[in-house]
Amino acid sequence: MSWRLHHIVLAAAGVAFLLWCADGVELRPREVVHAVPVIASYFGRMWPPRWEFAQSVWKPALETLYVALWGNVLATLVGLPLGVLAARNVVASAPLRNAAKAVLNLFRSISELIWAIFFVAAVGLGPFPGAMALGMNYGGILGRLYAEAMENVDAGPLEALQSAGASRLQVFAFGIVPQALPQFVTYNLYWFEVAVRSATVLGMVGAGGLGFELVTTIRLFEWRETGLILLVILAMVSVIDLASTAVRARIY
Amino acid sequence: MIAIEKLSKTYPGGVAALREVSIDVKDGEFLVILGPSGAGKSTLMRCINRLVEPTSGRIVHDGREITAHGRKLRDVRRRFGMVFQQFNLVKRLSVLTNVLTGRLAYRSAWRSLAYNFSQEDKRIAVECLARVNMEGKALQRADTLSGGEQQRVAIARALAQQPAVILADEPVASLDPKIARQVLTYLTQVAGELGITVLCNLHQVEYTREFAGRVVGMSRGTVVFDGPVTALTDDVLHRIYYRDPDAATESEA
Amino acid sequence: MSAATLDALVGATLHRAAAQRARRLARAALLAAPLLAALAFAAGQIGMNPLAVARGVPFMWDFLTRLLPPDLSYVPLLTRAATESVQIAVWGTLLATVLSIPLAILGAGNTTPHPIVFHATRMFLNALRSINELVFALIFVSAVGLGPFPGVLAIAMHATGMLAKFSAEEIEGVDRGQVEALQATGAGRLQVILFGVIPQVVPAFVSYAIYRFDVSIRSATVLGLVGAGGLGFSLFKTMKLFRYHETATCILVIFLLVLVSDWLCARVRAKVL
Repeated sequence: MSWRLHHIVLAAAGVAFLLWCADGVELRPREVVHAVPVIASYFGRMWPPRWEFAQSVWKPALETLYVALWGNVLATLVGLPLGVLAARNVVASAPLRNAAKAVLNLFRSISELIWAIFFVAAVGLGPFPGAMALGMNYGGILGRLYAEAMENVDAGPLEALQSAGASRLQVFAFGIVPQALPQFVTYNLYWFEVAVRSATVLGMVGAGGLGFELVTTIRLFEWRETGLILLVILAMVSVIDLASTAVRARIY
Repeated sequence: MIAIEKLSKTYPGGVAALREVSIDVKDGEFLVILGPSGAGKSTLMRCINRLVEPTSGRIVHDGREITAHGRKLRDVRRRFGMVFQQFNLVKRLSVLTNVLTGRLAYRSAWRSLAYNFSQEDKRIAVECLARVNMEGKALQRADTLSGGEQQRVAIARALAQQPAVILADEPVASLDPKIARQVLTYLTQVAGELGITVLCNLHQVEYTREFAGRVVGMSRGTVVFDGPVTALTDDVLHRIYYRDPDAATESEA
Repeated sequence: MSAATLDALVGATLHRAAAQRARRLARAALLAAPLLAALAFAAGQIGMNPLAVARGVPFMWDFLTRLLPPDLSYVPLLTRAATESVQIAVWGTLLATVLSIPLAILGAGNTTPHPIVFHATRMFLNALRSINELVFALIFVSAVGLGPFPGVLAIAMHATGMLAKFSAEEIEGVDRGQVEALQATGAGRLQVILFGVIPQVVPAFVSYAIYRFDVSIRSATVLGLVGAGGLGFSLFKTMKLFRYHETATCILVIFLLVLVSDWLCARVRAKVL
């Protein structure tokens, strides 16, 4: 009897919380019903895409890829050392590990757009600060994933190395790295795909890539041009998705 | 010779894995430690190469106390080669590299990071592989081998340490009987040739009867039998494998 | 084994090992060369070089000193925006969770009613996934006006794509045995899906939905850039007004918000699973 009451109270609290949230974001059934056809009509206006616009889009599209590529490289450079320092089975000192984790958390929780604003303010407009922004945000994400991958390796071989008298550093090099490496590559490939999607909006704050064209066409209500850009993004992401699946299948 | 004196280990949480265990092991002996799982055999082995720190008691090897703090851990460990139930090879590395990891304790950490080993180390590694007839598969990845082959490589890895003692912790528990006998044959043969002392944990009586010289029987963290394999009577086995209900209530109280 | 045969054996094996190492190095170089060339080319195209990084450092430092310390008196003014970000993430994720269930079933090879439906659904999900929340938000703001409402829809769209594709793949990976056992009892198609497939994917689905909420919180903190509500709006407003100490406060609040949601999500996930 009492547990039932407990559940009813909990459910009521949950519903109340959701209603409070809905009120806060102006989400009302009537508005949603009204909005759906309006939004659908906006997507309708994007068809057919303005194919000629491809001429002025292919360059920023490539730039998006370059930004994502270097963002990924920088993220590895940022994430790898921090991830190693944060892994329980690599670093014995808890304060050092926690410090590394705190830095990773800081990098991770600040969106790439905020990082981009920071770097644009520091080094000026262009794709380069965009790559740096991706490097920081995704470095934080990758670093944490790297650390988890290292902590989750099979502990048996590590014990064997230890029992043979290997030092901590040797256990790391011969036990942890070879076991975690495929996981690292998988994460990098997956986050490259995500980075390409992110790189398509960095242009909104002046950090290169397609984002600038995207914002401009939407602000100018050039919907058919917007449609083409969205198609280009879709094509890029799909190709990378296929390529990374193919690579992932081969690394184990 | 190894002298284990009144060794006890209580894990955090109060589980007493070893209670005042005393065993003397002579050089070149093939000693089987027989007992059911949970008898404390693994803990005993891990105390010997200090993967586990004992709560009390001491272990003396060739007049030097292993359990004394401050002794260089790597020096202690490299004199004891270890063979595990799950083989514990690094699966994505080649067989040869796995055996070469047995040489790590002899080399400085920084130089070995590049996976560069001296000619001498490589020579030793291939020799050890040849002793277990695995040199033909030296360049294959470890995960392409069968279980028995992996365990032979693991024996080669222990040999590459040029150890005085091999600690084999249930080395054949994951293998089927035919392969298990083959692996134990390699282990006894190689140890005999090189004069290496072997401490081997087993829970199967048949293998013990076939391969052991001397047997130490363990139950619930204590030694309940110590003698030649010929003295392993049914009565003794009963003592090793069946728990005395009175003793159980007493220790759990 | 005699010393001579052993020597020969060791020599032969080491020779093979050296040859293998050389082959591997050559192959690695062959793979690495085009990759490095591509990286170098890309670096040139986006104007990136170590010198540029070095030149940027003093400017970054300068900017950082203007940001710090954060103006803590601004915190009370941010509570409304922070709450809004959370509310956006809650409803965005909730809508996505609801929408992704039918889409996942239609988009999984073993539960889809027809291959055409399967391909169409996957295509649609790919489109949702590849378009960033901010792009959706930008379009929705144009369609229905400024405010958190288009932000909710934007998060919902993108999260639906991610969640539905993930769940569809989970559905495809379910244990066939349990499904066949149900089919053997003569259960209908929908019954098999309801009782054989869904229970198997629920834990992974819930876990991923919680993860998605965590990601949505982070996204919700920047939607304000395009006028779709939340903390982002305050962030960009203070920046445009050069009130950098207040900007730093925004970043601090975002950091704390993400940290708390991270911790909370980990707790909930541990409890649910």
